[in-house]
Amino acid sequence: MNIEQLPIINLLLFLLMALVIPLLKRKPFKITLILGFIVLGLVLISSSYLLWHVNNKGVIHYTFGGHEARFGIEFIVDPFSALFTTIIAGLAAIIYIYSSGDATEGIEKTEYGRYYVLLFILLMSMFGILYTNDLFNTYVFIEILSITTCAIISIKRKKDTYTSAFRYVMMNELGSLSYLFGVALIYMATGFTNITLISESIQNAFVSYPVNIVVALGFMIIGLGIKAAIFPFHIWLPDAHSAAPSTSSAILSAIVIKVYILVLVKVLFRVFKLDILNEMNISTILLVLAGVAMIMGSVFAIAQKDVKRMLGYSSVAQMGYILLGIGLLSFEGLRAAFFHILSHGLMKTALFLSVGEIIFYKKTRKVNDFDGMGFIMPVAMGVFSIAALGMIGIPLTSGFISKLNLGVAVLDQNQIIFLVILILSSLLNVIYYLPIIILAFLKNEKYRYRLKSIEPTPRTMIAPLVLLGVLIVVVGLFPNQIMVFIEAAVNSLLS
Amino acid sequence: MLKFPKMKIFDSMVKSNSYLVGLSMFLLLYFIAFVGNWFGINQAIVESSGFLNLLASSWVDYLIVIIILIPIVGAIIELKYGEKSVKHRDKSVIYMGFLTLVIIVLMYPIILNKTLSIEIPQVFSIGLTLRIDMLGYSVLLLSAFIWFFVMIYAHEYMTHEKKTTRFLFFLGLTYSSVIGAICSGDLLMMFIFFEIMTITSYMLVIHGQNEQSYKAGYNYIIMGLIGGFLILTAIILLYFNIGDLRFASAIAKLNTLGNLKYWIMGLLVFGFGIKAGMAPVHVWLPRAHPVAPTPASALLSGVMIKIGAFGIIRVATSYYFPSQDSVAGINDPLWQAATNIGAIIIWAGIITMALGVFLALQQANIKKMLAYHSISQMGYIITGVGVALYLGYEGAMGFTGAMYHIINHALFKSLLFMIAGVIYYHTKELDMYKLGGLWKKLPFTTITFLIAALGISGIPLLNGYISKTILHHGIVEATELEHPIFFYAEIIFIVVSAGTVCSFIKMFYYVFLRKTDNEYKTMVFDYSSLDIAMWSMAIIIVLIGLSPNFILKSLILPILNTTTYDPYFVEHHIAHMNVFAGKDLLMTLGIVGLGFVIFILGKKFNLFHLHLPKWLSIEYLFFLPAYIIMRNICRLMYGDRCPMDKDDFSKLTEKDVEKIGFIDRFIVTTNVFNRRYEQSIIRSDAIIYTSFLTFLIILMLITKL
Amino acid sequence: MWLDKIVENINYIGAIALFVIGLRIVVTHSNLIKRIMGINIMGTGVFLFFVAIGNVTGGVPPIINPNVDDQLFINPIPSVLILTGIVVVVSITVYSLSLVVRIYENYKTIDQKELSRLISEENDEH
Repeated sequence: MNIEQLPIINLLLFLLMALVIPLLKRKPFKITLILGFIVLGLVLISSSYLLWHVNNKGVIHYTFGGHEARFGIEFIVDPFSALFTTIIAGLAAIIYIYSSGDATEGIEKTEYGRYYVLLFILLMSMFGILYTNDLFNTYVFIEILSITTCAIISIKRKKDTYTSAFRYVMMNELGSLSYLFGVALIYMATGFTNITLISESIQNAFVSYPVNIVVALGFMIIGLGIKAAIFPFHIWLPDAHSAAPSTSSAILSAIVIKVYILVLVKVLFRVFKLDILNEMNISTILLVLAGVAMIMGSVFAIAQKDVKRMLGYSSVAQMGYILLGIGLLSFEGLRAAFFHILSHGLMKTALFLSVGEIIFYKKTRKVNDFDGMGFIMPVAMGVFSIAALGMIGIPLTSGFISKLNLGVAVLDQNQIIFLVILILSSLLNVIYYLPIIILAFLKNEKYRYRLKSIEPTPRTMIAPLVLLGVLIVVVGLFPNQIMVFIEAAVNSLLS
Repeated sequence: MLKFPKMKIFDSMVKSNSYLVGLSMFLLLYFIAFVGNWFGINQAIVESSGFLNLLASSWVDYLIVIIILIPIVGAIIELKYGEKSVKHRDKSVIYMGFLTLVIIVLMYPIILNKTLSIEIPQVFSIGLTLRIDMLGYSVLLLSAFIWFFVMIYAHEYMTHEKKTTRFLFFLGLTYSSVIGAICSGDLLMMFIFFEIMTITSYMLVIHGQNEQSYKAGYNYIIMGLIGGFLILTAIILLYFNIGDLRFASAIAKLNTLGNLKYWIMGLLVFGFGIKAGMAPVHVWLPRAHPVAPTPASALLSGVMIKIGAFGIIRVATSYYFPSQDSVAGINDPLWQAATNIGAIIIWAGIITMALGVFLALQQANIKKMLAYHSISQMGYIITGVGVALYLGYEGAMGFTGAMYHIINHALFKSLLFMIAGVIYYHTKELDMYKLGGLWKKLPFTTITFLIAALGISGIPLLNGYISKTILHHGIVEATELEHPIFFYAEIIFIVVSAGTVCSFIKMFYYVFLRKTDNEYKTMVFDYSSLDIAMWSMAIIIVLIGLSPNFILKSLILPILNTTTYDPYFVEHHIAHMNVFAGKDLLMTLGIVGLGFVIFILGKKFNLFHLHLPKWLSIEYLFFLPAYIIMRNICRLMYGDRCPMDKDDFSKLTEKDVEKIGFIDRFIVTTNVFNRRYEQSIIRSDAIIYTSFLTFLIILMLITKL
Repeated sequence: MWLDKIVENINYIGAIALFVIGLRIVVTHSNLIKRIMGINIMGTGVFLFFVAIGNVTGGVPPIINPNVDDQLFINPIPSVLILTGIVVVVSITVYSLSLVVRIYENYKTIDQKELSRLISEENDEH
């Protein structure tokens, strides 16, 4: 087995697992769970190995069927894709362990197997998006990702899931078609769909057919922006969160929308290189969108009464931070954005998983009902508090480091107004996260009769939460190890 | 002749606490002996080989880590004992305080000769430094003494309160973060400990867990976090422009930034000023003190707000002062930035002083009055810091005054809060106008109150007189050396001092002297840990008052030697300062007389119950445009079809600012905004897509062509 | 002159027209099934655009004739790509239609405005 075949083996493992699950329908469900965990573990090990390999030895190219890059599909494993596939595999493993507890609430028993089928296909498509070096292949994987995410969100048989899922499908289709139109325009101008070949000929194409490239750029930014929940196009996100089970919310908010931002980064920096972007003033557009997202996301979040919708709007604001880092179009900015992708993934997963546990046991979703929750479910609320403090930006958490890096990156490009917006949005974050923590740990007079004992939760649900809490603090204290990988990824994008 | 009834000893730990306090007094004696070189102790220790080995060894730097960790360990041990064995729990806390005190006092000779410092390179991607130099050591010594005494006090006081375990746990954590903030060697470390201190002290403020505590606590933590964010912005700006956050002179690089250096200093002054109770951001202080339990108030007012002032001093004297070898004299242009900043800080301090004392005179609640006095005294300290910056090379007088007043104010303010706590403990009443005649029932408390009140008023032979005189000299120098406008500052200074005197005369009269009908039969004359703690602090106040040069010699002069102040000035004006000059004594007499006059006038014309109209409070004026917008927000958003009858929207039109604060109104505004726009945004998804698409493409085509 | 340009690029113009028509349907109509059809029409427009790229003036269908050499073939790749694309759009349409069926079962209406009114009434009750 060649090292070059590892990426495709990852994808195949996921696909095979997804195929095998319906076959195991008669067996007890535990076997499926254990098998899935083994597969995830194998993929995580192989991704980490790939990460080490590409950072020390060199980039891996794999072409399907041996056809050369011009006609076939090429997979590239470089520091950028290796880093993010490892992060995704890690987060997915944690969420998977969590979901194997009783937290798939609201889903009927017969649907459990289908849920996991969808989950594995979703993971396969995410890996595919990150590895592939071909624009149209990206489109195919994006579509697979869209459908499986829609399905994973609307898996509950409740009334409000259907309208939210419909809106989600509608917006996602608009986004995908815009993206495809952009690919078509680029293909028209350059004649290739392979990213490396396009990047070599984009300058000539820009000189000869400027309208094509410009319109393609516009369509792609908006199309991917819809899917990544950037401010005016974030419409589907809060509804989707309020309707979905908690594990799906965690996957959606922490992993899926990040993958779309990563596609945007890949397209911007590898297809249209920095010269075109600077000429077209894309930086201003992205920065304005990011600034608006940071403020408006938090303003809407303050007004929400359902805790999951609030977390959804909080995700919109955080995607604004990431877009701010990307929109600076510099080394520092990308580095801060990538670090924030990691840290926000950890924090949002922790938030959604702990909220899921609370909703499962207490059957309540309103923010006002969190009174005294800290005494009934201390681990869940403790991890929620650590993650919420991280979102606010208290030191000792990873959120603080990402704010520090973003601040320095913003100053590097002389955009001081965005430093002010950054601090302002941190203040807005305080307004809606702090009351929950205070309510949970201090005000327990209303529900004194409920304070019988600490709710027993299965170990499979507590262990991932504790692991996430520890990771948030560790990454907050010693970020340098991860920064090495992130800087290698940024260098591979910018060179 | 007073008859002393039989003393009851209520508290089982009084004996052991007395021993510990006795030991701490012995430590104090050792300290005095060391500085004064009695019996040649100083020379014996400093020249001993053991000491020299210690200085040269590398592990002596880890003392910093040890003193930060001891309170955390103490807090954890205390948590484990919990409610099961109250004696062991309180003992663990008190021993923890004592151990820290011992180590800190014994560290004095080491710090005199060498600055301890530890660097941790890889953390937080920037690296952290811990450092104790003489400036930090003074504040550290002060905090250690006060914290120890308050721990003993808290042991007895908290028997009347619930959930003591949680209180003592967070008290220990706060102690640890205070020590960490003092011992930090760069701005990032100080910021981290500041945030931790805000969060842990929030738990102390909110201890009562009633409606008022929650409101006060919410205000406290939001303002604390806002201060934290201001400091964070300054950290980012400094890190980007200078690259190194350690406390070393950076004025050369800062001068190249033009006006940005004033922005950075403004952010830092406001950020630390929120913690220090500087006007206009002092509003959390009078709300937080009455609701917190007394030990927490004593520590909050005694130590924690000093950390805010300490932050300003540290930042100003490190970043904005030239280093010792690069400055030529008073007219060196390197001092320009410090001068400009200093002027503004002086005026901020003067305003704080005046505001504090004026509002203090209007209060009936003892704790609230003391809180406003804290604000006023912090105004003194901030003025001192301002003078220290303003006069540049010759600013040593202001610096000395500020540091001395930090030490003095911590002592007498903690003592005053403890007395207020004793009054509350025995009578359950904090309203000054309802008490009276307590001198018969609590004679010892009356005596300690007199000592503290004389101290804060600035009477000679007690410690307040010394620092106020030095500060007065500082302002006079500012007037003479630089700009005559500070004459008005001096006038306000004198009036404020008179006001302070008046306020304490008022409190003494109403609480202790006045004859009332209340008999307080149930009060027993006892000797408990409360009294031990209060007496020790009173003794220290008197000792400092009797020998003013001691603090100068032991703590302040070594600090001044490490800063860039003019050595000639320090040698001639400060080292052998005589505070008992005739002019100053006469000035004090005049101030006391003026205070009496104000008191008599106030009683006669009932001037002590003025209430400023609600619309004149600082908060309202500051947020006035926002309030106007928020009141009309419904009309703005909805046009005429405003659903105003919902009861939570009516909160917006509530004229009274006290009931609904700024943040609550903001939340309701976002609710209105959300209600109006969220659904319509969601419904118009495709329209948004189309419009943005066309807009973006047209924009890009125009840019291209 | 410009008439020639239009005739040359008629495929592209038709594709863009289809896209715009589909977009207009999605934007203005409130019936859910019409919106799905609008998305389909948009998709068809994009596919038409893609396939039209492959057209080479004066080319022959890409079937190798061993007798004639050096022929000018029409580019086969876009058509191949679009086959995949059509499958994807079809699957999304299937999914959306099943959602519409469920919505009808639950709310008895498939008009977007009616639906939002019903949902906001339900939310107000809570």
